[in-house]
Amino acid sequence: MSNGKSILVDTSLCTGCRGCQVACKQWNNLPGTKTKQIGTYQNPQDFSFETWKVVRFADGRQEDGKPYWYFFSDMCRHCIEPPCKISIEMTVKDAVIQDQATGAVVYTEKTKQVQFKDVMCPYGIPKQNPKTKVLTKCTMCIDRIKNGLIPACVKACPTGAVVFGDRDKILDMAKKRVTELKKTYPKAMAINPDEVRVIYIVTDNPKKYWKFAAGV
Amino acid sequence: MSSTRREFLAGAGALVGGLAISSLGIDLTSVIAYAEEMKKIEKVKTARQTTSICCYCSVGCGLICSTDKKTGKIINIEGDPDHPINEGSLCAKGAGIFQTTEANSHRLTKVLYRAPGSDKWQVKSWNWAITEIAKRIKKTRDTGFMAKNSKGEVVNRVENIAHMGSSNIDNEECWLIASMVRAMGLVYIDHQARV
Amino acid sequence: MTNHWIDLQHGDVILLQGSNAAENHPISFKWIMKAKERGAIVIHVDPRFTRTSSKADIYTPLRPGTDIALFGGMINYIIEKEKYFKEYVVNYTNASFIVNDKFDFHDGLFSGYNPATRKYDKSTWTIQKDEKGIPVKDPTLQHPRCVFQLLKKHYSRYDIETVSRITGTPVKDLLKVYEAYASTGVPDRAGTILYALGQTQHTSGVQNIRALSIIQLLLGNIGICGGGVNALRGEPNVQGSTDFAILYDSLPGYLKAMTVSTKTLEDYLKKNTPVSKDPMSANWYQNYPKYMVSLLKAWFGDRATKENEFGYSWLPRLDDGQICDVLNMIDNMSKGKIKGLICVAQNPACSLPNSNKVREAFKNLDWMVHVNIFNNETASFWKGPGMDPQKIKTEVFLLPAAASVEKEGSQTNSGRWVQWKYEAAKAPGDCIYTGDIIIRLVSKLKELYRTDKKAVFPDPILNLKWDYTDNKGRMDVVKVSKTINGYFLEDVTIGDKTYKKGDCVPSFALLQADGRTSSGCWIMCGAFTENGTNLMARRKKDDPTGLGLYPQWAWAWPVNRRIIYNRASVDLNGKPYNPKRPLLAWVDGKWVGDVPDGPWPPMADKEKGKYPFIMKPDGVSSLFGPGLNDGPFPEHYEPLEGPVTNNLLSSQLRNPVIRIFSGPYDKVASSDPKYPFVMTTYTSTEHWCTGAITRWQSWLTEAQPQVYVEISEELAKLKGIKNGDKVKVESVRGSVLCVAMVTPRLQPLNCGGKSIHVVGMTFNYGWLFPEDCGDSANLLTPTAGDANTGTPEYKAFMVNITKV
Repeated sequence: MSNGKSILVDTSLCTGCRGCQVACKQWNNLPGTKTKQIGTYQNPQDFSFETWKVVRFADGRQEDGKPYWYFFSDMCRHCIEPPCKISIEMTVKDAVIQDQATGAVVYTEKTKQVQFKDVMCPYGIPKQNPKTKVLTKCTMCIDRIKNGLIPACVKACPTGAVVFGDRDKILDMAKKRVTELKKTYPKAMAINPDEVRVIYIVTDNPKKYWKFAAGV
Repeated sequence: MSSTRREFLAGAGALVGGLAISSLGIDLTSVIAYAEEMKKIEKVKTARQTTSICCYCSVGCGLICSTDKKTGKIINIEGDPDHPINEGSLCAKGAGIFQTTEANSHRLTKVLYRAPGSDKWQVKSWNWAITEIAKRIKKTRDTGFMAKNSKGEVVNRVENIAHMGSSNIDNEECWLIASMVRAMGLVYIDHQARV
Repeated sequence: MTNHWIDLQHGDVILLQGSNAAENHPISFKWIMKAKERGAIVIHVDPRFTRTSSKADIYTPLRPGTDIALFGGMINYIIEKEKYFKEYVVNYTNASFIVNDKFDFHDGLFSGYNPATRKYDKSTWTIQKDEKGIPVKDPTLQHPRCVFQLLKKHYSRYDIETVSRITGTPVKDLLKVYEAYASTGVPDRAGTILYALGQTQHTSGVQNIRALSIIQLLLGNIGICGGGVNALRGEPNVQGSTDFAILYDSLPGYLKAMTVSTKTLEDYLKKNTPVSKDPMSANWYQNYPKYMVSLLKAWFGDRATKENEFGYSWLPRLDDGQICDVLNMIDNMSKGKIKGLICVAQNPACSLPNSNKVREAFKNLDWMVHVNIFNNETASFWKGPGMDPQKIKTEVFLLPAAASVEKEGSQTNSGRWVQWKYEAAKAPGDCIYTGDIIIRLVSKLKELYRTDKKAVFPDPILNLKWDYTDNKGRMDVVKVSKTINGYFLEDVTIGDKTYKKGDCVPSFALLQADGRTSSGCWIMCGAFTENGTNLMARRKKDDPTGLGLYPQWAWAWPVNRRIIYNRASVDLNGKPYNPKRPLLAWVDGKWVGDVPDGPWPPMADKEKGKYPFIMKPDGVSSLFGPGLNDGPFPEHYEPLEGPVTNNLLSSQLRNPVIRIFSGPYDKVASSDPKYPFVMTTYTSTEHWCTGAITRWQSWLTEAQPQVYVEISEELAKLKGIKNGDKVKVESVRGSVLCVAMVTPRLQPLNCGGKSIHVVGMTFNYGWLFPEDCGDSANLLTPTAGDANTGTPEYKAFMVNITKV
């Protein structure tokens, strides 16, 4: 299970262009939802049954007074041992597929039998379609990857901030990148690389990016 | 790093022209939620692929448009991985170009006319519109045509009709416009390049 | 761009000033990040800390409208610290030229200013010529009247403390920027400057760009990989539309518009064809007559003959000095002088400055024709806020056009790559190509003029060659494209080769001035080979130099040259200044690498060699640039509407020749306590310009739903505003209700002890759709234009903000 695929999201390369956010909508035929401007570039504010990728924006000032703006292309972590799968399967068996070959965690229609409050996810990912009660989230574009293509969000990214590949190579890449980044950003780290397939690299405290960046 | 991310991962399966089918085992169609999305990949695989260029910022990123052979409608637009500038990537606007196509119900699809004093649009035919517009151009031009300026110098120009636009259309269309406005004798000619 | 997008990866120092490339040209960051990973220094100078700033190694703010102060300080630094690339400066610029004795600059004004006419008499802004007509030079650069010494003197006034007081940029940050950028004045380091509307949309816009060009020339950064003066253009095909001159003051291929003072074609050609007496100057524009006559033949075909001056007299002429740009267009429209408007794929109701003036002006039209893929505030102006449709007599024809992916044709990106695209699907409903609309319209006009015996001056309309449809009556895109390229109209023998009648002209070097060739736009000549192969459609990924030129991907103008002025990338012997990036090299009697700026040998060959800047009459680039309306050296002036009452560099507060208006809508409120904050406007990644196309798209509107104003935390505290509050932003011209975005990314600027607040808004919104998204930021902007181009000053004006 630790083989399969992984995605590396290197926030140090991300410019917040939202190509990934829109590419996910485009590929998956998800509608654009109605949002309001509440004083941030980020929209939507969170995942929903129609939004499976959210680029989170967080700005502030560092200790030296210089501004910063962090972009966090949030998505399902496709955990190695997904708490959502474990918690859902307490109610319904076979509602969640964990693809043997890639490790992608994919919900089926059977998830509609689960009470939403019983679904566990430290990253706040799964959402429920209010009409059908089916749970939805990122599928790691399993339809694409099964056909020799890369996920839509990965393809859209211009700077290589989001890349897809064999897990062991991605882990290796993450390690090397963190070592490199630490020269300039001593707080650089990969978030929970052993627990998740979608590994984020940050250059600062993960909480500055998003409260659930490293899980609850 | 000694190798770029992209070179290194090229083997992981970037989208290539022929959309190679490589099934890796499980038939997921019956179990995955949103079965429609699974059908999309099948449609995209068998679609007619056309290259185009993004209609926004002037980087000129390459696009691949997938057109359903049965319906003739575009069903997917993503980046062209062979394009040397964007290598398949697209920003938010480029990634969303599908919403500029017929799929967007807000597209203007009829010739519309607003009469003087009216608060609504009427649908018209092309023949009607082209004829009526040409008549008005001619009337306004003939009324305001300046053969000479106030100093008696030959100018052969029209100052009561103006043209604006566009940087959003193809070169060949730009040239036709540039030709048309000079032939009409216009001098108020401008567009986004200046602003 | 002198260079191109992929080339950005070669920059050793990348200065983005007046550009927010990560947001507005996002894919450029693919190449900028590549440079950064390789160790390049990325500098971002911008009033706001944006997505671009987040990736910069050095970010520093500056007050909107003070770029020349900052650049002037950099020029001063470069000269003082001798960071310039001396060999390049001596040989490839006019630094050594001796200037006219009477040229002067004093207290903010150059010699020859007439305050009554608000114009300069430029007759003293000249270079001294010897008896042969060749510029007098001092290659030691010591002569007190040589350009270099005058440049040095001019910018010695831009000391770093004064610059800091003007720009609000701290001295230590200025030094960081200057030091990093000036490090590229050596042969193996390349500096590139990326700019966009942050430089052009000012009343001193052109001089902003002159200033950064001077820096690039001093450092030897033009013509090399990773260098250049790189305008990141703002529209998908604005490069093309500029090339084809949908502009009043030029003709396709940057030829000059006709004026009354050139009564005959001969007069016109004489006036516009530069002459150089220096045999080492290629003076490429000496070929001007070939391009003009070929254009006339493209327009009028067989009807254009030597006898009728190829149709020259059929074309409209401006009065000398007459300006017919959008600012004057709207002004005259508001005075009732313009009765008809053809508006294609543009949304002036939201994109032109001072929207109230624009929207009111439309009411005076008898008719408006609008072509677009979606409805917008211009076509629907008659039902906008405050409009009473019953009282508005304007007829509006709203014509549905095919979208970009529904059309075959070419598009020119900012890097001058002309790329062919294909029709992915037929346009829906009754939509047709914009080109088809134009073709049908002109065909109908021809019919009307042909059948009316009393028609007024029908000649140009009837004589216009107009056979651009296929056998189905639809626009024949390839035929139009070939017409633009050009044809041999009869058999023509050049050298030892004979081209046949009907062949495409494969290079503008082969165009003729006697009517035997046609070309709709000479710079596009060569996009087709002589047997009609479309080079714009090429998709070969070969990259023989390894520098990312991709010479067989699409086609670049001119003649597929990927980096222009590339003869300046080699020394006098033709050896690349930077052997690690050999863009061009003279090897065994010929050039290898990119397409060279002409085949002649390098300058060391005194007999056949040529200077590198072949488009300039003197063959070298201009540090001293006498051709502009507001001076041969850029000088800092304050914006028309600004926060200060005096200019720290002179008594001249504003650029004395900028475009200003004095009608009832053209109000200005400078240093007015009612409007105490500096505002700048811009766009976002997710929306496109006025949003005329993107606001109809739910994925994009979801990401950026409504208009907002970005303000600093300090200003928010001052005005009792919290993040997310509804506020009113108003200038003396109009107001916009919006959401306050309180952010640490903006900070008040300390300008010589005075704290100046800067706020910003995108112009991505309009009242039409979505219903609650807000209206245009241009309700606030002033009717003021650049002294040379008339480009409006969208980037610096004054507002107030109050909570509602």
